[in-house]
Amino acid sequence: MAVSVRSWVANEGGKHLVLMLWLGANSWLFLSTYLLYSTGQQYHYLYNMLGLGLCISRASASVLNLNCSLVLLPMCRSLLTFIRGAHMVSSRKTRRLLDKSKTFHVACGVAVCLFSVVHVSAHLVNVISFSTSYSDDFPALNLARYRGEDPKRILFTTIPGVTGVLLVLILLLMFVSSSYCIRVSNYEIFWYTHNLFIVFYIILMMHMVGGALKYQTNVETHPPGCLRANQSGPKRQDEDLVRAEDDESRCREEARFEPHYPQTWLWVSGPLCLYCVERLYRYLRSSDPVTIVTVIRHPCDVVELRMLKKNFKAQPGQYVVLNCPGVSSFENHPFTLTKCPTVNKETFGIHLRVVGDWTERFTQLLLPPPRTDMEILPMVQQRIYPKVYVDGPFGGPSEDVFNYDVSLCVAGGIGVTPFACVLDALLDGWRGFRLQRLYFVWVCREIQSFYWFAELLCALHHKLWQENRPDYFNLKLYVSRTDSLQSMSEERYRPLASRLQVGRPRWKSLLDEIGKSNKHKRVGVFCCGPKGISRTLHRLCNSARSGGTTFEFNKESFS
Amino acid sequence: MGKIEWAMWANEQALASGLILLTGGIVGVAGQFRGWEFAAYAVAAGVFVCLLEYPRSKRAKGTSMERSGQYCFTVCVKSFGPLTRNYYVRAFLHAGICVPGGFMLATVLGCVCLAIASLIYLAAAIRGEHWEPILPRKDSRKPVAESIKNPPQNPPPRPPPETRRKQAKDVEAAAYDNPMTVTDDE
Repeated sequence: MAVSVRSWVANEGGKHLVLMLWLGANSWLFLSTYLLYSTGQQYHYLYNMLGLGLCISRASASVLNLNCSLVLLPMCRSLLTFIRGAHMVSSRKTRRLLDKSKTFHVACGVAVCLFSVVHVSAHLVNVISFSTSYSDDFPALNLARYRGEDPKRILFTTIPGVTGVLLVLILLLMFVSSSYCIRVSNYEIFWYTHNLFIVFYIILMMHMVGGALKYQTNVETHPPGCLRANQSGPKRQDEDLVRAEDDESRCREEARFEPHYPQTWLWVSGPLCLYCVERLYRYLRSSDPVTIVTVIRHPCDVVELRMLKKNFKAQPGQYVVLNCPGVSSFENHPFTLTKCPTVNKETFGIHLRVVGDWTERFTQLLLPPPRTDMEILPMVQQRIYPKVYVDGPFGGPSEDVFNYDVSLCVAGGIGVTPFACVLDALLDGWRGFRLQRLYFVWVCREIQSFYWFAELLCALHHKLWQENRPDYFNLKLYVSRTDSLQSMSEERYRPLASRLQVGRPRWKSLLDEIGKSNKHKRVGVFCCGPKGISRTLHRLCNSARSGGTTFEFNKESFS
Repeated sequence: MGKIEWAMWANEQALASGLILLTGGIVGVAGQFRGWEFAAYAVAAGVFVCLLEYPRSKRAKGTSMERSGQYCFTVCVKSFGPLTRNYYVRAFLHAGICVPGGFMLATVLGCVCLAIASLIYLAAAIRGEHWEPILPRKDSRKPVAESIKNPPQNPPPRPPPETRRKQAKDVEAAAYDNPMTVTDDE
């Protein structure tokens, strides 16, 4: 599969442009700060004392300032949801970039770690230089108290030293616990250590207090390298002493040094305040509990939950974060909405798959197991549901399904949930959207899983046939487990049974078929499923297609 | 809520600190700073800690993700038996290893990180966790179903003689016999 330039640019161009801009900004900051410290007149004496370590440490510090401020911005989820929703503000290209906000956060985080290593190493060399090249000419410039002072003492008795050590420790804890392995197995460890970032930022803003590095304030009156009153120039003894008393090479006054004004807070306080405001907003928004309307148990360990909340508005493709104090006070779990509130019906719903300990306990609270020791009396039981708080909704890539002429939605297992909401919206009214044709591919392991949304799929299919748009909705169902004979035998699910195939789909021929029917169009491909499927589809979307169709790949992942 | 497996976090932390100790030791030896003997010790200690911590333990519940190429390390570590299985031993071992690193500037960071890892291992040991090797599973192939070996002995049943005669006369109708009606419902 050859990578076609046009497909690649359509799919990857925006991301790589942002990457280039970010790398460019970092490089420019690094180089300009490096040059400032190595050639600047006001740093001449300091540079003589510390050498290269000064330039590298200050250059990496400015890069760190930039990345520490940028790293918070992709995590302001409500702000990103607002930007995504405001169609006047952003085009489809910008919205596709917003899908990669977590990747950008990780990139900035990795940059912070890398440049911290550089910064710390350079400053350790500086500490040793401060100790060994103790300057007797300019005592104000020194950090050490005497020549040859133990570098460890300098490190642990100055504010920049102590705060630096603490910062490195916190950064290391955050970095080690955010590895993929730990996030997947013990998300709480990742979450609680990552929340140490607030301590990190507070200590970061105090890091420069104390002024270890000083610059010269009176460069005009004391040009660096000038000769002082009791010094004489080299190799001038045999020349006229009158000429040696040249004014230009004599210092008019002693050098004066001032420590730098701490700059980090200028960079960091804006994004930090923004993030704190965002967290407060989210807390206030989720502070009243939702009313649970119904709980339905579906086959294959899936439970549907219908809820009601005042002033809750959502678009198809968005997700909410659930918190149930009865299960765990601090855990928040994201679930995609499978039904959005509309003008007619204000309930919204989620489908959750029971896979871990939180969902198991939550389902037990919602649907207590039937007690076999009691007699089953035909009385209406007052079901007492646990209190649930809902935070959101937050935007996801699947919101853009309606903004293409033709869309292909590929779902794997429970990954069908964002598309179920899309189909629900189409059932309500399909004429108002830009979307003209929807291809829907759903791959499941067992046939029982299709019963989660069998009603919805059949209802949409019937509606479109009745309204004379049979080509609008093209459904393909696949069952990947081939060992046992499975079929849907109910009469009302006939449209699904005839579109069901056993075995995994062949993606290349599927995309070719779609490309042939939609020549010279831009098809939006939305994938929500296991990594294998999304990787194959991504590769296929980037490769050359006959017929001039461009496939734009959008992925939604649940981890 | 839920059981957190501290050992996994301790393992990541200890591996990272081993690498930091190794790097700090190399820098200390290369620069020939004051106290470079501690740096040389840190190189050896860092390598030892990395080798010990490279193989991941099997999780009590859930899928375990192996590090690439960890099988030979698993076999080595497994051969020490209860010494490596028990996390109390690891906690005190790391606490002991990290102390000499604190005497030199280049290795101080590795020392503190290893101390933190040792504390987390202690927490894991108190919770009763232990190290389990991840060994490759021997897949038992499912026996081929009986019916494949024995093809059917009898031919399929023939329709009664009247239908057979009808089929011989009207070949076209006999050829296409739709089991289901074709409607627009499909």
